Amino acid sequence: MGLFDWLKPGASDPAIQAAQAASAQRQQDIQQSLRSGRVPSDIAARLEGSRNGTQPWIATLTPAELLIARSHGFRPIAAISATCWLHYGWSWTEGHAQGWEAALRRLRAEARACGANAVVDVKMRSIALAVENSMDFTLIGTAVRVEGLPASEEPVIATVPALEFVKLLDADIVPTGIAIGAHYQWMTDWRDSARMTWMGNVESRPLSQLWESVRQRAHADLRQRAASQGNGVLAHVNFSQMFEREGDPKQYLGRHIVVATVVDVPGAQGTRGRWRGSDTQRSAPLAQEFKMVVDVHAGGTPLTGSSRHHQAYQTNDEDGAI
Amino acid sequence: MTSQIPAHAQERLKGLRSSAHSTGVFTSDFSVNEFLLVRKAGFEPIGLCVGTCVYHVGIQYGSWKKNEELQVLSKAMYHARELAMARMRAEAQAMNADGIVGVKLTIKRLEWDENLLEFIAIGTGVVHGDGHKGFRAHDGGPFTSDLSGQDFWSLLHAGYRPVEMVMGSCVYHVAHRGMFAALGTTGQNVELENFTSAMYEAREIAIERMQHEAAAAKAEGVVGVDIHEGSHGWQTHVIEFFAIGTAVLPLDQEIAPEKIADPIMVLSVND
Repeated sequence: MGLFDWLKPGASDPAIQAAQAASAQRQQDIQQSLRSGRVPSDIAARLEGSRNGTQPWIATLTPAELLIARSHGFRPIAAISATCWLHYGWSWTEGHAQGWEAALRRLRAEARACGANAVVDVKMRSIALAVENSMDFTLIGTAVRVEGLPASEEPVIATVPALEFVKLLDADIVPTGIAIGAHYQWMTDWRDSARMTWMGNVESRPLSQLWESVRQRAHADLRQRAASQGNGVLAHVNFSQMFEREGDPKQYLGRHIVVATVVDVPGAQGTRGRWRGSDTQRSAPLAQEFKMVVDVHAGGTPLTGSSRHHQAYQTNDEDGAI
Repeated sequence: MTSQIPAHAQERLKGLRSSAHSTGVFTSDFSVNEFLLVRKAGFEPIGLCVGTCVYHVGIQYGSWKKNEELQVLSKAMYHARELAMARMRAEAQAMNADGIVGVKLTIKRLEWDENLLEFIAIGTGVVHGDGHKGFRAHDGGPFTSDLSGQDFWSLLHAGYRPVEMVMGSCVYHVAHRGMFAALGTTGQNVELENFTSAMYEAREIAIERMQHEAAAAKAEGVVGVDIHEGSHGWQTHVIEFFAIGTAVLPLDQEIAPEKIADPIMVLSVND
């Protein structure tokens, strides 16, 4: 008996005790399942219900997305999610890659449990709770099945909404997964060359070089991780930071994280950057027709007060994009 | 209805197709729409091109009562951007790209030193699918453009091609008003003529510099120009005017205006 147990209503109520015991058991199951790479049993049971149609399907899709998904033969099965709450021990930067990859593995396991061909509308989320140098890496998406296709052992993970997913498929391009490139590097400034207090206009070569080297390694990392899933990436996050650590000598930390959607383009050329020859084959041209439309609904005019055309009443002195 | 999904995509959805490509991976920062339209325009992305520069900006104070361009700051902003852009372009050249689309130029102040600015230029290097070299800039190197993939497609369909991302910059000190001048106008609505003329001059310098760059690139015009003012942590009364846009040239085979398809009016049900 704890000292404050009288504050907890119904602590002696058997129903509440049973619920607490069930919750404890459930959590134990979640931990054990995740440790051994399985889908926790309650979730597996729910997914199984949606898979065989005894339970309603759940989709994060909007009605418009549902329409286009249906017209292309997709059926939503279940909303699936995965989380890995990770504490950064030895590296914040590489912790990010590690955290997302763990979440991806778990998401893929849930998708497999659904009998899905793909997961669409995958969102990367994190709760803004800065708990002791840690962060949660959460993925949420909708598992879908293509009518007439068998379940896939390796469902594709598409970080794009259903509309864009279908748009890509029509062009014979498959968004296959997420790739993370992350790298950090410390530079010790032995000669104090980054201190330039009394200098005029001059580039800081050591810092430029630090940034350059960090960035190149992060991108190489990205390419390497993407190569097992497809032959191209559409990057949506390019994050970089630089810090100074006081001391003698001073140290500088550069870190860079790139998050990208991997795509698989049929017959695309070997686009290995600088080693590419000029005799590459052309990938199949897009069959889709594009027409120029004017959307009479969208804003972007001074009359709707969008900030691009009206900014006299806002501050505009922030650093950022030019 | 599954017949609408092309064969290769179906194979992949079945999870049967080998995913390992021996040919390597292209990188880009395209969105889905950009990616599709750049390809539709006949180009293929080959890799992200990045140029950076960490720059120490020298110190300069404007004289209290004078409207004037702050040469040191102007030159710093110019030079640092130039370095970042040139490095990005060199990267594109090294991967044999015909151009860079969707260039984003950002400035960040480094937190430990107010005089250190970090300039980053990022864009996606593209090649023409049929190896047509006519899209390169006047010096035979890759073209640069801050237009998105959608705008790139539209520009080509309007009969123009991008040549070079051009910019003009002017950091300007606006004179403080004397105490007596301020007292003399208490309670009146009057135009502060020296402030107005400061804005005029600074903006003009920026625009002229941009136009000069476009002329040097042998362009016919500049499209998508953004003229704006900002401050990067300088004292009050110091502003930077910045003009940026994409210099363009007509395509080799110019499209007659009547050949350009009229846009279709649609009403979007999304919001």
